[in-house]
Amino acid sequence: MRGIKFSFLCKEKPQRTGKRVAIVGAGPAGLTAAGYLVCKGHDVDIYDKMPEPGGLMLFVIPEFRIPVERVRLGAKELEEEFEVTYYPKTKVMEGEREDEGDEFYERVVKLSELRENYDAVLIATGIWNVGRIGIPGDDLEGILSPLELLFWIKGAELGYVPKEKVPDLRGKRVGIIGAGLTAVDAAFECNRLGAEVEIFYRRTIREAPAGAYEINILRNRGVKWFELVTPKRVIGENGRVKAIELLRTRLGEPDETGRRRPVPIEGSEFQVELDYLVFAIGMVPTPPVNGSYIATDRRGRIVVDSRHMTSVEGIFAAGDVANGPTKVSRAIKDGLYAAVSIDRWLRGES
Amino acid sequence: MERKYLYLDYLTCIGCETCETVCDFIHDGSPHIRIYVTENKQYLPINCKHCDDAPCVRVCPTHAIYRDEDGAVRIHEDKCIGCLACLQVCPYGVPFYSLKVRAITKCDMCADRREEGLEPACALMCPAEAIQYGPLVMVLELVNERRAKNIPEHRRELGEEELRKSVSSGYVLL
Repeated sequence: MRGIKFSFLCKEKPQRTGKRVAIVGAGPAGLTAAGYLVCKGHDVDIYDKMPEPGGLMLFVIPEFRIPVERVRLGAKELEEEFEVTYYPKTKVMEGEREDEGDEFYERVVKLSELRENYDAVLIATGIWNVGRIGIPGDDLEGILSPLELLFWIKGAELGYVPKEKVPDLRGKRVGIIGAGLTAVDAAFECNRLGAEVEIFYRRTIREAPAGAYEINILRNRGVKWFELVTPKRVIGENGRVKAIELLRTRLGEPDETGRRRPVPIEGSEFQVELDYLVFAIGMVPTPPVNGSYIATDRRGRIVVDSRHMTSVEGIFAAGDVANGPTKVSRAIKDGLYAAVSIDRWLRGES
Repeated sequence: MERKYLYLDYLTCIGCETCETVCDFIHDGSPHIRIYVTENKQYLPINCKHCDDAPCVRVCPTHAIYRDEDGAVRIHEDKCIGCLACLQVCPYGVPFYSLKVRAITKCDMCADRREEGLEPACALMCPAEAIQYGPLVMVLELVNERRAKNIPEHRRELGEEELRKSVSSGYVLL
């Protein structure tokens, strides 16, 4: 197998410009931007809180979609052929905030320090948090965040997470709320580990972001698909999840996304018994700042202009941290165009 | 020069659209590999297959379509008259008429990049390694090995009914 060739635009590093760029986050956006920038002769350092580069591609997305080796070899090529320096286990943060995967970092560097020490900074820290859904019982034991679950499974396979940490799902009833790609990936992995999986979605399969194709593959594998239901509360016993209470919904008028809004039907409550519950909704951007150092919007996304520049001159942002949850290709696209802007800016062209 | 193939392994493709993204980037917003989304939301990248017995080459009345030394099916833009006969016969509907160029444009296996000794960008960047570029033997060996690897895994993990379902569904889980 060969690695993803992030430096696909050149054969070798051209003459050095002497400019230094720090990239925060070694996921698809960060690595792709690095590939472009080294092809323009800039020196690139990449900071990431995880123990090795790759981001969600390596630590969360299941192996059957993106092979670990493909990501690893790609990151290694940048290091060996293009002199990219990685600073793993290093969290970049201005202010404080706890995110998923925080157990791995050993050092903290301030974003403002990077801005002082480098000619430009690119933030590509993605979405390493999951928002609370805000229903009674949503903090019971046995409720797992999809990131945590997928990360434990993949991390155990990679040797970063002790095997004991992965719950033994064989024969267990796992409920998954949501029908995006994260929900589908969580369902695939739980199904593979022997769980009885049920997916609960508030609209119908026609509106499901992951699409009928993926969902029907899961159904062929024995995953149950439950549509037009919305969670009302989680029922616990001795502090642990025992069941979920759901309300049936019907589709009403279209909302701002053009999809018909689900309307809960009063008095339609029913319960489904569960051992684990995964809220695969609401992945939240995790910018390396908490406070007013750079501007973020209501949903936590970093605000950027058409050049991908943030509210601080010389700091750029790309990928999910600026867009919210999207697909790998969107992160790659953003990484490329942000890198084009950084290169131009460093050359004084805009 | 040995004939090269650009092979898209649909059983390995994850529909992430990275191929279209990088193709779009290097072709200033006019990608030559395009994602088609089916009604049930399957994401299928379609590009020129550079067929061995290419119907477009045979049907072109002005002989504007030729095969280059690496095996890519290419267009002589100055010979193309825009009759779209190639589009009529292409089973993938690939030939795209550009009003700006006034000729058919389509995947040329990254001809400009090949001149510089670089390989097609989509193959290099695909996260799933679903696109292979190289001599036929290399492509076949890789894909054969991939399929063969799945057989014993399936037999161990799944019952016959499950195996049938998983194979027919198009996904192969390791």
